[in-house]
Amino acid sequence: MFWHNFKYSLKVLFKSKALIFWTFAFPILLGIFFNIAFSDIENSEKLDIIDIAIVKSDEFNKNIIFKEAFEGLSKGNDKLFDITYTNLNKAQKLLEDDKITGYLVFDDDINIVVSSSGINETILKYVVNEISSNETMINTLIKKDINNEIKKGNYNINYEKIYADAYKLVSKDTAKINNISNKNLSYTMIEYYTLIAMTCLYGGLLSMYIVNLKLANMNSVGKRTAISPIHRGKMLVSSLLASYVVQLTCLAILFIFTIFVLKVDYGNNLPLIMLLALVGSFAGLSLGVIVATLIKTNENAKTGILIAITMLGCFLSGMMGITMKYIVDTNVPLVNMINPASMITDGFYALYYYSTLDRFIFDIVSLLVFSFVIILISYFGLRRQRYDSI
Amino acid sequence: MKNVIEVKNLTKEYKKLKAVDDLSFEVKEGEILGLLGPNGSGKSTTINCILSLLNFQNGSIKIFGKVMKPDSYDLKRQIGVVFQEVAVFEELTVYDNVDYFCGLYISDKKTREKYVNEALELVGLLDYKKFYPKQLSGGLLRRLNIACGTSHKPKLIFLDEPTVAVDPQSRNNILEGIKKLRDNGASIVYTTHYMEEVEILCDRIIILDKGKILASGTASDLKELSDIDEKITVEIEKIDEAILNQISNLNNIDDYTFEMNILTVKYKKGKNNLGGLINFLKKNNVTYNKIFSERPTLNDVFLSLTGKGLRD
Repeated sequence: MFWHNFKYSLKVLFKSKALIFWTFAFPILLGIFFNIAFSDIENSEKLDIIDIAIVKSDEFNKNIIFKEAFEGLSKGNDKLFDITYTNLNKAQKLLEDDKITGYLVFDDDINIVVSSSGINETILKYVVNEISSNETMINTLIKKDINNEIKKGNYNINYEKIYADAYKLVSKDTAKINNISNKNLSYTMIEYYTLIAMTCLYGGLLSMYIVNLKLANMNSVGKRTAISPIHRGKMLVSSLLASYVVQLTCLAILFIFTIFVLKVDYGNNLPLIMLLALVGSFAGLSLGVIVATLIKTNENAKTGILIAITMLGCFLSGMMGITMKYIVDTNVPLVNMINPASMITDGFYALYYYSTLDRFIFDIVSLLVFSFVIILISYFGLRRQRYDSI
Repeated sequence: MKNVIEVKNLTKEYKKLKAVDDLSFEVKEGEILGLLGPNGSGKSTTINCILSLLNFQNGSIKIFGKVMKPDSYDLKRQIGVVFQEVAVFEELTVYDNVDYFCGLYISDKKTREKYVNEALELVGLLDYKKFYPKQLSGGLLRRLNIACGTSHKPKLIFLDEPTVAVDPQSRNNILEGIKKLRDNGASIVYTTHYMEEVEILCDRIIILDKGKILASGTASDLKELSDIDEKITVEIEKIDEAILNQISNLNNIDDYTFEMNILTVKYKKGKNNLGGLINFLKKNNVTYNKIFSERPTLNDVFLSLTGKGLRD
């Protein structure tokens, strides 16, 4: 009976034109739209290398923190600056001739000289400020460590080690900046992740449709199924499995289409992204099941409620603007802890913002727990059910 | 004969409206019981309560001697239901629809294939196996509905108004199919508001109105409850008012009407009423085109019991 219901549930789902459109065609159409609309933004988003000059001086040579930081930022494929080390006159001339964005003069203080305001000038100023604050932090840490050593009565201080430790600690922040600027986490990629998350949650439409067909208060087919000798749990799991297979087919097509047709580069994390999509889809399906079983209204109203819940979840999880996720996480963290959309997006971000998989695994486990709890509640709501009216 | 269904003091209320009011009846093994009543009389609600689809406030329901509950899977296995609404999947073919519902009861593939084909043959849909429901006419859809509900060869079948909005050919086909199901040993509960159908099909009839049993028995038993024994209808072109008034003086007359050139005379009891009326018309030189006599119908019984017709 389990596989019999599974086989026919698959047939019904694959032959339902409206469902096929929303779960198969719609995400692909959106993907095409993103590809057309955001490819220009993506190109314009890539930063040009900024030409700057640094006026050579003893102060600059003594400032090891700045010296090493600028050397680091002007090396490699991802370099931010092309630096000309010169004297003051030549630097002024280069600026006048528009050959550089600005130049830096090191004396008692650090002076940034620019001739106009723009993105490159802002970046230069931002970087100098960042390094300055790092320098202050390093100096503070060094002073603190030296004081600690003196307090302990240790006057044989290893200044080089203290400096190295402080430098290592502070320079972690710079590494974070590098990671965030990873080429895989572009604006367009965020949109594709949103698309995958949305497709996962749209799976709820599939499970809701097929479960509605088993409910006596929803339609005549449901009445006929309800009087059959099939255990409700078996029927629920079998129908859910069928919708999951359809959902996974839909996701597979979406991945194949975005990778091979739209040439989306998911980077090295593709297997983990797929794992998250698999688990996220399960959460989406469970959401459809609970709306179908526990909310007693007609099919259209249930569809509206499911879409509203999905959209609200997406909105609160930051899919339509990352600031919202920050606001919810800060003020009402419980909301996003039980919001499957948030668990999915959080999983995607975790892959990029964290060097370990702890947060990602936490999101996966949260999604699984959420799904099983929801399905269990649905089952108990469905079990031994008689209706007041049908 | 054993009781396959025992309903005792069943009461079902929708808010303050009593849809079924202290209903008690039995269905015997191998019989076709007709539940006859106008729309809203409680026929479908009674069936839904028996099937454990609806909550009810009071009463007890036993099927095959066991209390019927939502998880009485052993009982459900022996029951087939044809609902008033067509209950099929739009996305599946005729064959797949019957196969799906049959498969919820019969797991063996070969047996199922045999049963599905027999069910399709019973309702005359063998030539439509690969059609989708939207390609079928209303009558053919109803037949498919019956095949889906009965293909697993249940011992007890509920047929809830299976012939609503069906063309005469399909209706005859459906009624023939139901007779065959009974001949194959099934007990049947048949609800309808078509009195002709219960007269043709049912061994016993329960007349329901406002959730209560008004009368029950065989068709002949019920007709005994009617105020009249015979109804004679005559098509007349012209009749004088004075002659018309004399009709009430004829023997055994209960009532008469003359509307749209049709004279209807109802008799309480008595013999040779038709001969008496013909003699009266000849004697008064009244010419008539058609004349026929009929026994009271179940509608007349319902009219006598409630003062309204079954389809009012």
